Amino acid sequence: MSAKMMKRLPCAVLAVSALLGLSACSEVPQVSVYEQGQYRGKSDTRPWEGGEFKGDRAAWEKALKERSRGQNEYNRIQ
Amino acid sequence: MGRMKFLCDAERCIECNGCVTACKNEHEVPWGVNRRRVVTMNDGVPGERSISVACMHCSDAPCMAVCPTDCFYKTEDGVVLHDKDKCIGCGYCFYACPFGAPQFPNGPAAFGARGKMDKCTFCAGGPEADGSTAEYEKYGSNRLAQGKLPLCAEMCSTKALIAGDADVVANIFRERVLRRGGGAEVWGWDAAYGGGEQKRERKREGQS
Amino acid sequence: MLTKKSATAATSARRLRGASARQLGHTMDRRAFLKRSGLGVGAGALATQLPYNFIGAADAAAPAGAARGEGKAEVRRTVCTHCSVGCASDAIVRNGVWVHQEPVFDSPINLGAHCAKGAALREHGHGEYRLKYPMKLVDGKYQKISWEQALNEVGDRLLKIRAESGSDAVYWIGSSKHNNEQAYLLRKFVSFWGTNNCDHQARICHSTTVAGVANTWGYGAMTNSYNDMQNAKAMLFIGSNAAEAHPVSLLHILHAKENGAKMIVVDPRFTRTAAKAHQYIRIRSGTDVPFLFGLLYHIFQNGWEDKQYIDDRVFGMDKIREEVLAKWTPDKVEEACGVPEDQMLLAARTMAENRPSTIVWCMGQTQHSIGNAMVRASCILQLALGNIGKAGGGANIFRGHDNVQGATDVGPNPDSLPGYYGLAAGSWKHWSSVWGVDYEWVKGRYASQELMEKSGITVSRWIDGVLENKDLIDQPAGNLRAVVYWGHAPNSQTRGAEMVEAMKKLDTLVVIDPYPSATAAMAAMVRKDGVYLLPACTQFETTGSATASNRSLQWREKVIEPLFESKPDHTIMYAFAKKFGWGEQFVKNIKVEKDAQGWDEPSMEDTLREINRGTWTIGYTGQSPERLKLHMKHMHTFDVKTLKAVGGPCDGEYFGLPWPCYGTPEMKHPGTPNLYDTSKHVMDGGGNFRANFGVEKDGVSLLAGAGSASKGADLQMGYPEFDHVLLKKLGWWGELTEAEKAAAEGKNWKTDPSGGIIRVTMKNHGCHPFGNAKARAVVWNFPDPVPQHREPIYSPRPDLVAKYPTHDDKLKFWRLPTLYKSMQEKVKDISKDYPLVMTSGRLVEYEGGGEETRSNPWLAELQQEMFAEVNPKDANDAGFRNGEYIWVESPTKAKLKVRAQVTQRVAPGTVFLPFHFSGWWQGKDMLEFYPAGAAPVVRGEAVNTATTYGYDSVTMMQETKTTLCRVSKA
Repeated sequence: MSAKMMKRLPCAVLAVSALLGLSACSEVPQVSVYEQGQYRGKSDTRPWEGGEFKGDRAAWEKALKERSRGQNEYNRIQ
Repeated sequence: MGRMKFLCDAERCIECNGCVTACKNEHEVPWGVNRRRVVTMNDGVPGERSISVACMHCSDAPCMAVCPTDCFYKTEDGVVLHDKDKCIGCGYCFYACPFGAPQFPNGPAAFGARGKMDKCTFCAGGPEADGSTAEYEKYGSNRLAQGKLPLCAEMCSTKALIAGDADVVANIFRERVLRRGGGAEVWGWDAAYGGGEQKRERKREGQS
Repeated sequence: MLTKKSATAATSARRLRGASARQLGHTMDRRAFLKRSGLGVGAGALATQLPYNFIGAADAAAPAGAARGEGKAEVRRTVCTHCSVGCASDAIVRNGVWVHQEPVFDSPINLGAHCAKGAALREHGHGEYRLKYPMKLVDGKYQKISWEQALNEVGDRLLKIRAESGSDAVYWIGSSKHNNEQAYLLRKFVSFWGTNNCDHQARICHSTTVAGVANTWGYGAMTNSYNDMQNAKAMLFIGSNAAEAHPVSLLHILHAKENGAKMIVVDPRFTRTAAKAHQYIRIRSGTDVPFLFGLLYHIFQNGWEDKQYIDDRVFGMDKIREEVLAKWTPDKVEEACGVPEDQMLLAARTMAENRPSTIVWCMGQTQHSIGNAMVRASCILQLALGNIGKAGGGANIFRGHDNVQGATDVGPNPDSLPGYYGLAAGSWKHWSSVWGVDYEWVKGRYASQELMEKSGITVSRWIDGVLENKDLIDQPAGNLRAVVYWGHAPNSQTRGAEMVEAMKKLDTLVVIDPYPSATAAMAAMVRKDGVYLLPACTQFETTGSATASNRSLQWREKVIEPLFESKPDHTIMYAFAKKFGWGEQFVKNIKVEKDAQGWDEPSMEDTLREINRGTWTIGYTGQSPERLKLHMKHMHTFDVKTLKAVGGPCDGEYFGLPWPCYGTPEMKHPGTPNLYDTSKHVMDGGGNFRANFGVEKDGVSLLAGAGSASKGADLQMGYPEFDHVLLKKLGWWGELTEAEKAAAEGKNWKTDPSGGIIRVTMKNHGCHPFGNAKARAVVWNFPDPVPQHREPIYSPRPDLVAKYPTHDDKLKFWRLPTLYKSMQEKVKDISKDYPLVMTSGRLVEYEGGGEETRSNPWLAELQQEMFAEVNPKDANDAGFRNGEYIWVESPTKAKLKVRAQVTQRVAPGTVFLPFHFSGWWQGKDMLEFYPAGAAPVVRGEAVNTATTYGYDSVTMMQETKTTLCRVSKA
């Protein structure tokens, strides 16, 4: 199981930084640029995979969309 | 679904600390560790504003950059998580983080031994089986895997703290700003989500 | 920038961590178990109630074991018990353990939102610092005893006192944290015990409001709702720090602000609410009348008053106008409250030009020796602007505890039976018949009919009931010998230093509470024996209804079984009723069932049905348990702004059937969202001002003017309240059924047990059963018919004491001599030695006396120390710095050791202290006096240890908001 996941958890999202970006030029805000991920921990599933959505990404996204309606009272108040 | 973000609307935050206790409640966070805090500026004088702060799950997260054991990873939804089994409690991430998000259970003794770093997970657990005992004990609830959003935002007393997909969050906020005709400053967004990057790009363009 | 609120937090966090770890001791395992139980709770069982929830199979896939819990996750809908907003919350329960808390987005009141307290509710399922079993003080230490021993010993001691001194020698302090049914049962309980010596938090919370407002227009309650504030175009907060005291109300308030409403905050302190206001006005503490009349000055000067409205619906405004224009000119206003004319004019203009405008007040206005006058000045401002009875207007009086409104309505009040029926013989006969007992039997329980009809001692003065000279106490029983604290903190009452003396002198002190610790520790500090602690459970361990500030009732489901050996309050009441020999009478109409431990538990549903059968006056008759439960299930069908259900099974009803919900449940009255609103039909929640004070005064009619009746009423004019005679005169009597006629003969709408008079009046003729009269700007039965400013007893301004002196002393007032002028004269120049105003208020993390919330580690961590806010000028003058320990000393000589929070939040000359702390006594931690394991996590000085004498001239409300102190470095 974990080997499969390893493949899924990839480079695109993981990054390592140029430490220099942080230290120097004061005009640059505290945001650094990362090049290539080197995550060395355990692999993880994506939220719609490991839990109750059993890999149905569309259902998961719909659930979150619905859920986020609760954060906007204008949905219920004209 | 795009990228997960937090937004705290300072016009609405009343420093009630509901987000703080919601977090404690959801994850049974022990005394002394605060994954989320409310910070007040100009306390007690006109212009007083409060902001709820936790890990912002930055686009280019400095914590990831500095971690000597590379225990951080970012999910496809932009949530920054870490593997506590790899964490050595060195505290570099705390110094790198512009929001003071990383917490150390056995701290805050300046030179004492630190526990493994603990921080806001966007209620997305960690690298253990979703909903497992191991995940809950190390990282807390995994609401995201249940199709729910972080409890701090869901329970916010004035709906000042919003969490979720970047577009949805931005739309909710935009509607408010339009109605009140101003007050659109979004504290911390530049640092977390790369307003700075855009500026830098503009700068680069200017240079070239 | 990212600093903690308190500079001292880090050090004290360390200190406290150690302390709490020690206290946790053997209970660690329970917490660890609970921690593991918080898993996998998104399960399918929730789906029916949580529309946003998704069914999942986490359970099936998960590893087995005790930690995960294999039982089904169940959802129990409850309501937060920490303030009067009434925030719904879903408790997820697995194997009987409260494992999770979910927001109820469907609730029209809180839309899922919670403050720190509401978001920490689940900690009640841990309850580590609760009283776990009955205890008894033996030789200065609390020892565990059995329930059987506790009931027998307490019962015998009280019966002995009753036999020796009479029933009035025992004082019963009930609770606004009881649900409606328990509060109601407690009033019945003390009646059968045979005394009116009972009270609860409302006395020291909004008693001045209830009396002042009810005497102005009919009912003593918030006229509109939190939700309705979304309709307001301007909002004036005076003596209310809603952002900390009612945080979720800010959801509606800031929504209104976002949509253009103007917000004014008037307070001696720059509160978190003030931080959100368009205009903040700092007044001197205790000068609300000059401020409000100062606004009226500009309103009258500019002709901004609503003349038509005043002509039709208000009595006595001409007298007010004369008074205001003559006495409260801008210079006088500035002299009294320190606000310059331009600020007054701006605020008056905002309120006048942005109508409907609303006013909000809380304890900042009520807790004064002239609180009754202050609240009436607020009412008069709103009447002058024509704002009462309008959506977006109203007097939005935010109550405190979750059920303080309900306990006021039907609970243990010393001056009234449930439903404000008073104590007259007719009222006793009405309630005796509802209870199914013989009036003569109840009378026999009292020392005499005279005492049965005489108001009892108030909770604010019980200490004087103990300490006062026996001959000056206006009851044959003389001094109080026993006090039962049944869900009430001791540190919320003033004159704490004298309270321990009273506790010392008592024969018996009984505390029934989940967190009895403050009382327990104070008593153990001065006594060796005669104290009993009985563990009650919280509202999450029982079921019943609670009335939020907006008068909506909500039904709580039982979340978990009572923890440890605790019992629900009504179960304890019934156990004592049996011990006292009237168990049968107590539950005559109420089913009794065995609980899991074999105790007899009276049914809460049946109790509510009994309330429904008797409480016609304020319309607690339509809210049957069935209707309330239906509302809780279909919250999503209610509109957030109007609170009205659109379609669905509750179509047309208002959420929680806000009282008055007149008539029988079968009449289907929808409840009343905004009181006195003539723009609606009475069967749609409309109304008008109440005819409760006769039909004319000094030759002037008190009835409303022509054309000012509620929409669709057959009588489009003022009219008196309905009784059998009026019904016959109008020729409507024939519309009653034969059974109704038999029941209603000789009765009025309040005492007709069939509800027939109400049905015919409202349903057939669209008229209001309580008549249609004018509101009274002049309340002639009060000490100051036109509200007067009077300086507090302890005033910082001797010059103004001469100008605005207090009342004359009263010899017999709620059974006690009460000092005004003699006391004020005595301390007139004391401000030379105690130059600073001492005032108190709320913190968002804590509630009331604070024992419960300070026992919740999630909250306690956020406010770890008692502090005083002092202006930098006063701190520098006294020679201390921010974060240092200081002494705050009041004229009683009591001294409080607290951290200095040096801040401009308070003006020079004012010291603010939060009132939620207890557990320190004049510099010393009282830990050794607590029952083992039941001390709260955070302890600190109680502000009321140092507060002074002073009581409202109508209701005996205590003066907490304006007294004096001095500060020095500790």
